[in-house]
Formats: sequence, structure tokens, C-alpha cells
Amino acid sequence: MLSLFRRSVQARAVATTVALSGVLLIALGGFLSFSIGNGLFEARLSQVLAESEAAVIDVQNTFAASSVNDEVALQTLMNSVVPKLEATGVADTRRVALLRTPGQSSIQLLQSPISADLDTQLISQNFRAEVRNSSGRVLYQSIQLTNSEDSLTQLSPGIVVGSPVEIPLAGKYELYLVFDLSSEQQTLDFVQQTLLIGGLALIFIIGGVAYVVTGWLVRPVKVAAEVSEEIADGALDVRLLEKGEDVIAVLARSFNKMADSLQQQITKLASVSKMQQRFVSDVSHELRTPLTTIKLAGDLIFEARDSLDPSLKRSAELLNGQIVRFETLLNDLLEISRYDAGAVRAELEIHDLNQVVGMAVASIDPLAKNRGSKIQIELPSEEVLAEFDARRIERLLRNLLANAIEHGESKPVVVAVGVNEKAVAVSVTDSGVGMGQLELERVFDRFWRADPARKRTTGGTGLGLAISLEDTLLHGGSLDVWARPGQGASFRLTLPKVQGSEFGESPLKLPSDQGSEPESASDGTEARP
Amino acid sequence: MNPKILVVDDDNALREMVGIVLTAAGFTPEYCPDGDTALATFQSVEPDLVLLDVMLPGKDGIAVCREIRNVSGTPIIMLTAKTETQDVVLGLEAGADDYIVKPFEPSELTARIKARLRPITSVEDSVSIGPLILDVVGHQVLKDGAQISLTPLEFNLLLTLAQKPKQVFTREMLLEKVWGYHYKADTRLVNVHVQRLRSKIEEDPDNPKIVTTVRGIGYRAG
Repeated sequence: MLSLFRRSVQARAVATTVALSGVLLIALGGFLSFSIGNGLFEARLSQVLAESEAAVIDVQNTFAASSVNDEVALQTLMNSVVPKLEATGVADTRRVALLRTPGQSSIQLLQSPISADLDTQLISQNFRAEVRNSSGRVLYQSIQLTNSEDSLTQLSPGIVVGSPVEIPLAGKYELYLVFDLSSEQQTLDFVQQTLLIGGLALIFIIGGVAYVVTGWLVRPVKVAAEVSEEIADGALDVRLLEKGEDVIAVLARSFNKMADSLQQQITKLASVSKMQQRFVSDVSHELRTPLTTIKLAGDLIFEARDSLDPSLKRSAELLNGQIVRFETLLNDLLEISRYDAGAVRAELEIHDLNQVVGMAVASIDPLAKNRGSKIQIELPSEEVLAEFDARRIERLLRNLLANAIEHGESKPVVVAVGVNEKAVAVSVTDSGVGMGQLELERVFDRFWRADPARKRTTGGTGLGLAISLEDTLLHGGSLDVWARPGQGASFRLTLPKVQGSEFGESPLKLPSDQGSEPESASDGTEARP
Repeated sequence: MNPKILVVDDDNALREMVGIVLTAAGFTPEYCPDGDTALATFQSVEPDLVLLDVMLPGKDGIAVCREIRNVSGTPIIMLTAKTETQDVVLGLEAGADDYIVKPFEPSELTARIKARLRPITSVEDSVSIGPLILDVVGHQVLKDGAQISLTPLEFNLLLTLAQKPKQVFTREMLLEKVWGYHYKADTRLVNVHVQRLRSKIEEDPDNPKIVTTVRGIGYRAG
């Protein structure tokens, strides 16, 4: 319920509308019911007072005009007052009491006539005192009547009206008229009930209207959200329906304009990038034919170098070396452009990583001997089988080994192979110059070299690690690096045993596992701090 | 007499340079600068081997290769700047025996040429496999008495397999024995040529009986 509330604007709008209109309706209903009740009471009261005044005058006149002089006749006359003033009916009930004012000196034998079903307790002593001191004015008090019907006791509002009456021979009396307001109460109850039902119905209607209206307003937003999602997922052609002139149509138009310009930009960028990749690829190919001629010529001259004079001989040697370097650069450039064009497919087969490491080490051995570096190999005794493109992984390892030898200051280079349930790994560690934090961050960048001031002795292309990283990512693996200035560097390649599967920990540890965090390039970004 | 090599390449400098290398290695080079005249030059020169550039003005190298194969089994080595699968496979399917990727070294070029010109040798004069009889001396294959025309490379491939029937040859072994590669080479060479061979000797090339595939290992005959 709460989550629906958080997710749905519509639910929130409907709930707020219903709550607010509920509060307003309760206030309005309260006010209406109060003023209607008041009006009913006031109207009845003025009627009651008018009736009472008439009755008092009537009673006064009756006694004044009579010429009774004995007690029996007086009692009869007094008794006749009550039924005369009494009224019974559904709409208008009136009870009457003619009470003798207490505290008179003359002896009183006469009975006070009272309506049969009137409880004189209802007329409070305080009220009677007020009536006695009212000097002939008619007073009233609101009281609570008890109606016993069908053995059910019901309370209903009533009014008692009182006035002093002078009776010849008998002394001071008080005339009380008790009016029942239950019919007014019924009317009020009915009105309140109607208001309640009407209010509830109104809240439901308001809720329904709010639901429909907000739904109507929210739907275009919902559609826009869905379309944005589709565009984000790559369906650049999807558009909103533009209809009408209202704000929603404006939203749709602006949205579509935005999508159009996005699509144009993306298409433009894609074609520019494609053209550029195409260009790199074409250049690499076009350079190959003249390079072939240069290479053949250079090779013939190089082969005949012993018959040349010393400066020409040295020139032939330099030429030969640089032709090799030029060719490597061209190959690397072409390989990177293939990756950029997304045209690289791994030729996956199950291989023994130990064997591939052995081949890479064997092919780099002449360089290691030349530099006086020893390569120590630590292989598991069993086969380390995994699914990978052997040509690419061997090239990657050759590259790591060449880097280690180049920067290893003739100290031993350690190559280790590890395996666990899900992954295989190779690490190449040297104890040479190492790298600082800033260098480490850029180590996989294209054409970046660990130390620009350093002599380029082995003639790497500056693309080696960039290609190695691409090769690693092609296999869904990770290439991690650790380095400390003056302590050396360690590169670790981890590959999943089965392509497309997840692997957790690498089977090998980098030296940093005892120190700080390694740089990881497994997620396609360059190494991060 | 030195073997004659026809160099078909539109790049003047490269053509001349290749000629110098070939002459130095003891071959006699002949030249053709474009694809349209390649077949005519081939027929007038009658070379022992053709070096054919893939990218040629006019008719491209693959079309030229197909034309030459239609009239002759002379070894063809493609020169290609592209190592992309599609170009290499197209060239081999058009009938090229081998290919060299530019830029190459002189020694690589001469080694490839020599490997293709090496005479086919066998201790037996004749080998039979299934319905086929291989006449090693006459370089002929007879199937039910009828002659089947194979290129020297295809003949060599079939002979290598047939000399040791039932033995499984890996692609690497065949690359060494038939193509003369002593290091890792492109196994697609073997795959494509086995397909071409099957299309000539098998009743149903899709369901081969003579040269069969051993899944995950290689091929064997019989």
C-alpha cells in the first residue's frame, strides 16, 4: 500500500483530494447541521413563548373573572385549567402544572393540578425561584425529557415555560408549561443523516472524478516515460503521438524534437566513428604494399651489410630494425581499429594455459637472454584447461613478458599460473623500476609510455597494453596491475574457465594483496585509483 | 632451367622488388601488371607458379585465381594485405594453394615458393584408397578407371592421407607435411582444401566416405 503510494502519482493525488474534501465536507456539514438545529429551536421557542404568554393571560383572566368563593368551586376551577391548556399529539405535546408557591403564610388545602404524565422533577427549584422573582414575565428553560415508549427510555429535548399566577383566595401560584421538542429533534436527525449520506456520496464522487482526471493527466506522462525507456534501450525511432494544442501536446512535440535531435546526433557520431575506423583500417592496408617493397629491399641490403663500409652497414642495421618496428606498429594499429569497429571474434577452444605460457616464454626467450633477465616459471603440475583464443592470449602474454623484461632492470621475471573452480590466471611480475600511482592510472591508455624520458629500447608500439586489455575483455576476463616505484610491477590476467560464466576471486594474488588495493581493468575502463 | 614465376601485381615497385628477390633465389620472374591480362599472360608464359595480388585494378585477384584454376593446376600463392577471414577464405576457395600476408620477408617468400615447387615423392609407385588408385609417377588419380584431375597440392594432400590409411592426421601435421609449414599456420588452409578435394573425389561431398573428419582432431582416409 505504501509502496503503491510512493510509486503512483495518481494514487497520491486521489488520496490527497479525498482527504482534503473530506475535511472540508465535515466542516461544512457541522456548520449546516448546527445552524439548522439552531433555526429549528429558535422558531419553536418563539412559538412556545407566544403560546405560553397567551395561556398565562388566559388563566389569569379566568381566575380574575370568576366569582368563586368556596374552596370546592375553586378546586374545580383550578383543575379545569390543566386540561384546557394541555395538548396531546405527535407534533405538539404540552404538559401543564399549576404549582403553589411555597413559603406562604395562609393554610392551603387545595391540590395543585398537574398533567398526568408530567414529572415535576423536571422543573428545577432554581428555575422556580427565578419564575417567582420574574415579576410576571414569562421565563423558559431548556430541559431533557424522558420518554418511555415500548419500555425503551429515550431522551428528547424540551422547553419548560413558567410564569407566576395570582389566584384569588388561594394565593400565589406558578403556572408551568412543558413543551416536547422531539419532532424538531427528528427533523434535525433526518437533516443530519441526509447530510452525512450526501457527504459520503460526494467524497466517493470526488475520489472517482480525481481518479479519472489525474489518470487522464498522468497517462501522457506515463507514455512519455515508456517511450523514453524504449529510446534508452536503443529504439531510436520511437516517438510520442502529437495530438491537439494543449500542454500535453506541447510536451509530446518537445519530446519528439528532443528525440529527433538525439537520433541525429547519435547517427552522425556513429557514422563519423565508422568512417574513422574505416580510415584507420584502409590506411593500414594501403601502407602494406610500399612497406613490403621497403622490407624486401631493406632485407637484401641487410643481408649484404658485411660488404658495406661501416657507416652504411650501421645504416642497414638501423633500417632493418625500424622496418620491423614499423610493421609491428601497423599491425597493432590495425588490431585496435578492428576492436574499435567491433569486428573482433575470439576463436575459442579449450587449451592448456601451461602450454600457452610455455610458448610465449619460449618466443620471448631471445629478448630475455639479450637483456640478461632470467624468467622463472611457476606452473601447477596438472593441465590448466580453459576456453580461450590461444593466439590472442599468447600475444597478450608475450606483451606482458616483453614489458616486464624491458622495465625489469635485468632482475628475474616471475611467471605464475593459477587455477580454481571457475577461473584460471597468469601473473607476470618483475622487480624493476615499477610505476607510481599516476603512471598506474594511465597504463592501459593508447600510445602512453611509463616514462616518456626513457629511451625506447625494445621499440614497443605503445598500443600493447591497450590491445592486451581489449583481448582480456573479449574473453570476459580481467587484467589487474600492481606497481610500486622502485619495487617492480605485476600484471595478472584472469580468465573464466568457461566463456560467458562469472568468476569471483582470481586464483592468483597480486603483491598488493598484502598491501594496498590493486588496479583493476576488468570493467572496460582504464585502471582507476 | 630455373623455375618460372609469374608475378601479378599492380604496384610497379613491389613487382620489380619481388623480381629481384626471386632472381636472387634462383627463379626466373615474369610480370603482369593487372587482372584483365593475367590469364593471357599466364597462357603465353606457362609459369611453374603464380604469385597473385588480391587487390588488382580491373579483375581482382580472386577472379583471376578462379580463371587460372579452370585451365590449370599450377600452384598459386596469393599476396594479401588483409588477414580478415573473408578475403583469405575467398582466395583459398577460388583455388589458391597458399597465401602470404604483406609485408613479408624475402626468406618467407622463397620458402613458400620452394615448398610449392617441391616434387611429390613416395616409396610406392601407386597407392590405392577406397575406389581410388593414385599413380604417383604419373601424377594421376583414377576412379573406376576414369581419370580425376587434381592440382599438385590436392594430389599431395590425398597421397599423404592415403599412404597411412586409418591414421588420423591433425591439421598441424598436414600443414607441415603438405604445405611445408614448420611453425603454427592457418588451419583454414587445410579445411578449405579438404573441401575442394572432397568435391572432386567423393560421391557426396557433404557425406564423405574417402576423406573423413575426426571431430576435434583432424582428418583420415579410408
